[in-house]
Amino acid sequence: MINRWKAQGGGLGVRALARLDAAFNGLYTWRFNPLYHSGALVVACFAVLLATGLYLLLFYRIGAPYESVAAIDAQWWGGRWIRGLHRYVSDLAVVAAILHGFRMFAQRRTWGPRALAWVSGLVLLGIFFVCGWTGYVMAWDVHGQALAVEGARLLDALPVFSEPLGRAFTGEESLPGAFFFMNLFAHIALPVGIALFLWVHVSRLARAQLLPPKRLLWGTVGLFAIAAVAWPPPLGPEADLLKLPATMPADWVYGFWLPVARAMAAGWVWVVGGSIALLALLVPVWTKPRAEKRPPPSWVNPRYCTGCEQCFLDCPYEAISMVDRDDGREGLVGWVDPAKCVSCGVCAGSCAPMGVGPPGRTGRDQLARVKDFLAEARPGSGDVVVVGCMHGAAGSVGSTAVATGLAAVDGLAGAPASAEAQEPRVFPVGCAGNLHTSVIEYLVRAGAGGVMVAACPPRDCRSREGVKWFNERVHHGREAELQDRVERRRIAVVYAAAGEGRVLRDGVERFRSRILAMEEAPAERDFDVGVECELDEAVP
Amino acid sequence: MIARRAAAALLALAMTAGIAWLSRVPTNFGADADAVIRLSWRVEGVPVEACRTRTEEELAVLPVHMRSPQECASAIAPFALDVVVDGKAAVRDTVFPKGVRGDRPVYVLRNFPAGAGRTALSVRFEAVLAEGAEPGDGVATIYAWDGEVDLAAGDVALLTVDGAKNLVLRTPEAP
Ligand code: HEM
Ligand code: SF4
Ligand code: SF4
Repeated sequence: MINRWKAQGGGLGVRALARLDAAFNGLYTWRFNPLYHSGALVVACFAVLLATGLYLLLFYRIGAPYESVAAIDAQWWGGRWIRGLHRYVSDLAVVAAILHGFRMFAQRRTWGPRALAWVSGLVLLGIFFVCGWTGYVMAWDVHGQALAVEGARLLDALPVFSEPLGRAFTGEESLPGAFFFMNLFAHIALPVGIALFLWVHVSRLARAQLLPPKRLLWGTVGLFAIAAVAWPPPLGPEADLLKLPATMPADWVYGFWLPVARAMAAGWVWVVGGSIALLALLVPVWTKPRAEKRPPPSWVNPRYCTGCEQCFLDCPYEAISMVDRDDGREGLVGWVDPAKCVSCGVCAGSCAPMGVGPPGRTGRDQLARVKDFLAEARPGSGDVVVVGCMHGAAGSVGSTAVATGLAAVDGLAGAPASAEAQEPRVFPVGCAGNLHTSVIEYLVRAGAGGVMVAACPPRDCRSREGVKWFNERVHHGREAELQDRVERRRIAVVYAAAGEGRVLRDGVERFRSRILAMEEAPAERDFDVGVECELDEAVP
Repeated sequence: MIARRAAAALLALAMTAGIAWLSRVPTNFGADADAVIRLSWRVEGVPVEACRTRTEEELAVLPVHMRSPQECASAIAPFALDVVVDGKAAVRDTVFPKGVRGDRPVYVLRNFPAGAGRTALSVRFEAVLAEGAEPGDGVATIYAWDGEVDLAAGDVALLTVDGAKNLVLRTPEAP
């Protein structure tokens, strides 16, 4: 089962995710699809929590916890909705974090160099939970009481405390101010831990996108503020240790475990909860493909490297550094740290002399492959060649692609797309960012009517920045840029996520009509796309 | 276009309302009973010293300077807890002192489901002393309470030990 999943190039739930993404893209466009920004939304929530929390802190008193929160709630013009926003956004943070984690899981971004992000992400989620619980205890209403009493029961099952914590909540004595002080301290200190772990979480990523685009950010904050104003969360009755809990307004995001835990012996709660946590923490181990299936890390061929630093700038995982050459030549040479490289292949697209990339996916490998492809597919003036990222619509093997007519996307280079000549030929690549622009040049100059690059929506790029760099290389002259001599009219880009076969097909159809309206594409023979390599001659 | 925008707005509203709702679901975590009688206290352990006279043979193998005729071990005594609710034995248990070496205080925390109304309760908490064991001076070895508890639905009656080392009952009405 696990092996089948690993072989599919996507995790459990990847199809569900594709459908959901497609639906959200349809409604919000890929730019503002909240699912693509779930991690960044958590950071946005964190910022809102800090701002609203600071306000609440001005009025909170450990000597009269419930009364002070009730007083905040009585400020209809301020405290009430700020407290509501604080609370609703803390729920959104957890929901978004779970969606974000699920996305990473389904897309198999879990192992190898990403293990650090995976584990620190889980720690972050854990801190969010504990911080939320302390927040509810701060208010000291019946919900806070339920959380505190159950939490103390569970902690007492651990051989840690000499005096059982549960005794604080038996009603023998009223709770000491020290308790509310400690709780408040934790509620304030834990966000420091969140900031710290967030730093660890994105430490392996270059240019981590920490906030969602402005419209999504303010739209989300606005909606939750409206909810807080229009439908402020109720404050439950004050906690009373000598009363049994009656019906209360409970938070099911932070308190989902309460009914389950209460029905179990404390020891079993630890066994079950611990097992689930362990299983999640070990995801990087059990999702790691077998050695022979693992994509190999990138490698710089010092023979071709001119030391231009472009791959060093472009690598989304900061896996490349520039080091002194040891081959007797002057200057620097790129060096890939295999422990940091996720094998995304983005560097291959950034190297004009084609001297870097994971084995089999360098610019040179792509050129060799495209020559074979052309020999077999022979696209003519009326044909569109789809250069497709296999994580996107062009790679939705056997599902949407077939349904929408791209029957042979799973056939590799050179395979005729289908019996009907109308079907586009598909040249697969691992990522639009992996694609070397010379491949596009080669296809166009060889006489293909048009080349359509089918990329994933930029924020859904599994290489993080592949689509961004691809666009810059094609449209803005970023190294390794698409040469001016290539006719731009014959090139198109479509963003089509895995579940968006229809978007891809419509894009191809529109592009094909444009191509057919153009004059015949000139086919060059025996040309060379000119692999830049200043040092090539210098090296034996 | 307008339909798409309307659907997008509606879904955004629904998701927001959904999350807000999750934050405030009216929930009853299911009390196990109408009311509860809670026994909760902490008492200092009863240190006891148990001594035994050594036999001639035992003395003979000991170094000369260690040949005291008595062998004594000090420990904290466990307590027997006996609870009778409405004439029926609810608990008969031994409670040991906390701590790895068993030298910490003795804690009791038990909840008994009870119906609303009047419940007869009899509690006895008594140190279990081995034969020949002597508790230290001024240490309480027996705590007992007998009487009736009046409870309304949702109440918790708390039986605890007060400063004068007596079992006392506290209810929401008489805290
Ligand atoms: C709870 C708070 C969390 C926050 C604030 C957060 C935030 C982020 C952000 C901002 C990124 C960078 C996105 C980018 O620029 O591409 C990221 C990446 C990542 N997150 Fe989280 N995350 C959280 C929880 C989680 C959880 C629970 C998991 C999984 C269990 C997780 C797994 C990952 C992984 C694996 C990456 C790296 C993605 C890649 O390699 O391309 N995160 N996170
Ligand atoms: S992009 Fe190519 S040439 Fe430039 S530093 Fe990297 S490997 Fe060397
Ligand atoms: S394959 Fe990706 S992660 Fe590895 S060095 Fe190249 S750009 Fe960086």
